[in-house]
Amino acid sequence: MSARTGRRPVITGIGVLAPNGTSAETFWKSTVEGVSVLDRITREGCEDMPLRVAGQVRDFDPADLIEERYLAQTDRFSHFALAAAQAALTDARLGRSDYEDDPYSIGVVTAAGSGGGEFGQRELQRLWGPGPRAVGPYQSIAWFYAASTGQISIRGGFKGPCGVVASDEAGGLDALRHAAATVLRGTDAVVAGAAEAPLAPYSVVCQLGYEGLSLREEPDRAYRPFTSSACGFVPAEGGAVVLVEDERAARRRGAPVRAEVAGHATTFTGEARWAASRDGLAHAVRGALAEARCAPEEIDVVFADALGIPEADRAEALAIADALGRHGTRVPVTAPKTGIGRAYCGGPVLDVAAAVLAMEHGAVPPTPNVFDVCHDLDVVMGRARASELRTALVLSRGLMGSNSALVVRRVEDGTS
Amino acid sequence: MTDQLTYQDLAALMKKGAGLTVDPDALERRPEGEFAEFGLDSLGLLGVVGELENRHELAMPPEADKCRTPKEFLELVNAQLAAGV
Repeated sequence: MSARTGRRPVITGIGVLAPNGTSAETFWKSTVEGVSVLDRITREGCEDMPLRVAGQVRDFDPADLIEERYLAQTDRFSHFALAAAQAALTDARLGRSDYEDDPYSIGVVTAAGSGGGEFGQRELQRLWGPGPRAVGPYQSIAWFYAASTGQISIRGGFKGPCGVVASDEAGGLDALRHAAATVLRGTDAVVAGAAEAPLAPYSVVCQLGYEGLSLREEPDRAYRPFTSSACGFVPAEGGAVVLVEDERAARRRGAPVRAEVAGHATTFTGEARWAASRDGLAHAVRGALAEARCAPEEIDVVFADALGIPEADRAEALAIADALGRHGTRVPVTAPKTGIGRAYCGGPVLDVAAAVLAMEHGAVPPTPNVFDVCHDLDVVMGRARASELRTALVLSRGLMGSNSALVVRRVEDGTS
Repeated sequence: MTDQLTYQDLAALMKKGAGLTVDPDALERRPEGEFAEFGLDSLGLLGVVGELENRHELAMPPEADKCRTPKEFLELVNAQLAAGV
């Protein structure tokens, strides 16, 4: 993505809060080693639900990172987002002194699909227990999809363009696209990403209606997309936040330029219409490639949506073939989320983080728990595959019918 | 808590209602400093008022959650508590 003005949106910082790591470093280490952390769900109140396996973020105490005044008014999904945003800013070496003279030069955009279920449940229990007077005032903002954007903006003092994307799981990719577009329009940097916390009892009950939710009890068998034993997906909590910055602004302040947000497109094909998602996803891939001015053969790795519903897996395999042609059967395809679960909007942003780290480390991470692929795809299994990677394609679909594709590309030092 | 609200009580309410750690002495030293300067936003003040109402089983006047300073708030609340007893 670049404008005639010479602006180019690049990723300069990555913050991760995932079931397999609460920093980008530990996340990458677990991801490249193919560690699966899917396990029996143990969150309070969830133990006796039909959902048995999930990707939980453990060993995360938000109080270590975020001031109590922000924690008191936010749900766990915003705790993740605030912590990941802080990590992304630290990683990008962007401090308050860089923007305090011009707070309008930094914006925020996040996506959310689940909202603040845990906070909301607690306050609703107060409403129907002690009564309306026991409901705290922060219920008015904590559950809301926009909460993380607002709180990141307030805590950081970012007064630039802010937004919230509510477009299904694929919204995680769409948020990065919004950030890139904002940078192209003249904002120096945008804090962008998504984090979710859908493992509270209320939120789990909401998900039980999803036909694709895997109810299997064995952690290593519950989420096995692209195999003949695919039986749905495992939900997860967590997500990632990146700093999307104008390349020249980044170079001016000596920040590390990690990758270009090169192209994106999104389509909508309707709820659970998986056969139709083939066309929708292929169209999104073509759009993203066109915007990135990227030939199919230039894609070095595909981070698949990998929903785990047989019909949806088939549609995705065919969409990759439709959009990439013969290259589609040769390009390495991976879905590291089989080791951590699907964190809804947070999932594709974790994939973008993994894609950038994969390009930097020259390794395609494997797809945990997947061994017998029954589609014409070169799925990387077992162990990571060493490979020089310059361009990655990240795919995401939502249960309600959104299909998005995002191309990220390495940036050589000094080019602009 | 006594029948009259003190700066100590207010600091405790700000902690409980809005997660703010505020030194009661700081409130007492700058009673006419704006709540915003102490980190308390309008929703936080609403929470403080709600907590007070629940504790005293007494409705506070509608101006309570519009007070801008600790001094203003304490005067209003204490007048109400005195009248309510």
